[in-house]
Amino acid sequence: MSWSLNEIEGLARKAARGAGLDWGLAEEAGKATRWLCAAGWPGADLLAGLLTRNQGVAYDRIRPISTDGTWQARSGMLCPLAAGAALCDRAWDWADGQSATLGPTAMPLLLVPYMAWSADRTGAILNLGFQGVSITRGHGETGVDVAEADALTCAAAASVALTPVKTVTGAPLRRAYRGEIGAEAARTLLDFAQKTYAPDTEQSRLSGAGAGLTDND
Amino acid sequence: MSTTIPPRDPDTVMKLARLGSFHQSRLSFMRQLLRRLKSEAWSFERHAFEIDARGVGHAVYTAHGPARSYSLVAFANDLPPEKRSDRVIATEWDATFTLFDGIPTQADITRLRNNVPRQEAGRVSDRELSLSRANRSVRLWDHVVDALSQGRQPDADKVDAVGYLMRTTAVYGSGKFGAADREQTAHRDECRGPFQVEMLSVYLTRAFVMDLVEHMAHARAPDRAVKLDPALRRRFGIGNSTGLGMAPFLVTHPALLNSWIAAREEALARVRSLPEATAQEAERFRRYVSRATVHAEAWHSEHPLQIAKLEALRADMAALSSHLIDADLTAKQPWNRLWHWAEGHLSPEGQEQLASLLMEPYGDLVDPLCCCMAADEVTTFAIDGAMSLTRLQAILEDVYRWALETDWTDPATHARVWYTSEEKLEPRLGERFEEPIEPYEQPLGPGRDAARLHAALQGTTEETVAAFLLRHPEHRAITRRAQIAARLPYAEIRDNTLAADMLPIDMLRLKLSFFGACHFDPRSDRWLRINMFQHAPFPQELATGDADDWTLPPLPLAAQ
Repeated sequence: MSWSLNEIEGLARKAARGAGLDWGLAEEAGKATRWLCAAGWPGADLLAGLLTRNQGVAYDRIRPISTDGTWQARSGMLCPLAAGAALCDRAWDWADGQSATLGPTAMPLLLVPYMAWSADRTGAILNLGFQGVSITRGHGETGVDVAEADALTCAAAASVALTPVKTVTGAPLRRAYRGEIGAEAARTLLDFAQKTYAPDTEQSRLSGAGAGLTDND
Repeated sequence: MSTTIPPRDPDTVMKLARLGSFHQSRLSFMRQLLRRLKSEAWSFERHAFEIDARGVGHAVYTAHGPARSYSLVAFANDLPPEKRSDRVIATEWDATFTLFDGIPTQADITRLRNNVPRQEAGRVSDRELSLSRANRSVRLWDHVVDALSQGRQPDADKVDAVGYLMRTTAVYGSGKFGAADREQTAHRDECRGPFQVEMLSVYLTRAFVMDLVEHMAHARAPDRAVKLDPALRRRFGIGNSTGLGMAPFLVTHPALLNSWIAAREEALARVRSLPEATAQEAERFRRYVSRATVHAEAWHSEHPLQIAKLEALRADMAALSSHLIDADLTAKQPWNRLWHWAEGHLSPEGQEQLASLLMEPYGDLVDPLCCCMAADEVTTFAIDGAMSLTRLQAILEDVYRWALETDWTDPATHARVWYTSEEKLEPRLGERFEEPIEPYEQPLGPGRDAARLHAALQGTTEETVAAFLLRHPEHRAITRRAQIAARLPYAEIRDNTLAADMLPIDMLRLKLSFFGACHFDPRSDRWLRINMFQHAPFPQELATGDADDWTLPPLPLAAQ
């Protein structure tokens, strides 16, 4: 089924929240998933896998302990949503020429939108590399260089590097206006999103949307 | 252009009671649309009208612009009375609609017939730009069909009492239920402004509804039925019944909200800054005041809150008219002097009506601001982690001062919870201390969240936003908002959206006034009815008439 990008973003945001992320991270997860789907990549499927993997794991276990030196998570595996947010928050450091090295990171493709936002915000040209994948963003353009197609959607990378570079290289990424979600991933995301909905009660039916005068005259 | 009078302080403007007193203006999205349709000489044709005597079938209304065509595809239904409800809980409607990007083929019509009448339960594609539905106003519909089929015009008083033959309920746009995302069309001139697609869909819906009622009268009595008198026909708008669904939008689109309000405040500041006015401009303004007085008289509501506001508005219009009898409107910054008089003599209803009326004679100053009413919501989204916490704290103390002065230990300050209901997937408002809904709370109480962030900043050892948020992701959402509001002064409603006495209808009216809606008629504190495009020229009349002088009713003949 073809999804609108708004539908994908909304579903991803709610699923991330339903899986326990705070609202700010969930909002960014929604936009990151949208970004990946608009790139023609299976962002929603990756998110479904990530949320399932991290279900019940405290944020403090999967965030970077520190953003000095190599970024590491207490659990041994960084969450790309937590690490991505931290990368984006430090956008000016990358524009100033600093680099970041991340240790083991789950679903590293999910980091790409955060890298792109960092570049867009500061005007820097940035590169994200993992497992033979090299993605560059600058001047609103994205270049992709992938040795093996599977690497793009790998479940984890041993390390990820974010580096400022001089030029955008690789095959230009073309944006799409629709996205796809695999049937199983869609079910997973809908199940997580469901947790954000309040079960209706007699009171909510009566007053939640506002009782009042007749609506049928 | 330079202004000597600055735009109003956001602490004054962004209060719910004031936002809930806004009126339509030259900047309203309906008026932007009709000015464009007129200036670009759009043409209109009815491609199909295949509706039987029971009122079942479909119709296609196409609008041709300079670069593209758009078609309203309408499906009419013979709805049993017991199934008619405007609420989002309904599953069938008198008519359902989609705005198609281009001109639909027969295959498109077949596909849409299987989906559009089902609304939320159906699925549309990226060829469709909106999805909506409407129900008849039974009391007026039957009267009009009866009258026309008997060869006479309907009773004008009955027309005015309701104001429309059908009420739309939800009008879904951007990406909903599979429709095209806004990005797909936002680069087009005609779609760049906010809600232009939705407004076009509603404008064509009004034309369809008027054709349908005449068709039904003719089907009943082909030999005797007459068409509506063109002058009376114009007195029909298209209704809308709307509820909480649109309130969160204002909170979740801070940059866009800022664009709307900033344009309006800049327009007001430009007019107030004028050193003088011509006698002709002063006379035009006086006529608009007279027309707004007629409008206020004809505005009805049964809701006690709105009845009180309408009484205040009518008293304001009387006071304004009386003041204008011998006020000098031509010299010494006349509009600014009038504005200061209004601040001391009119209620918020009257002040905000005056703000809209002051713009009317000055299309050349005001209308160009329409181009600033969209927003880039992508670049404003990223958090600036390099910001110092000292700076963040200063922002909080400026933008959210009211919230820092609020005693959040008082349950009444956060008695409400915004949540999404499982059954309808729609925004709802509940009682925090009476219902088990807090775990489902949506982030729609920025004031409380800002106060929490402010408290958390006391005693923290980090120095930058990035370092703080790494440990405190629970403050990311409000930090983002605060940074947006620091750059965009009208981005945040500076009032308590969780308070026990908060009125969601204030948020609805804010949004609907920018749409250009009139006759706000609350049916409770959280849903209301409005009228859209009343008195507007119909598509076929645009070429020859004035496209922008219709929102306020014409003066009675004797006063003209």
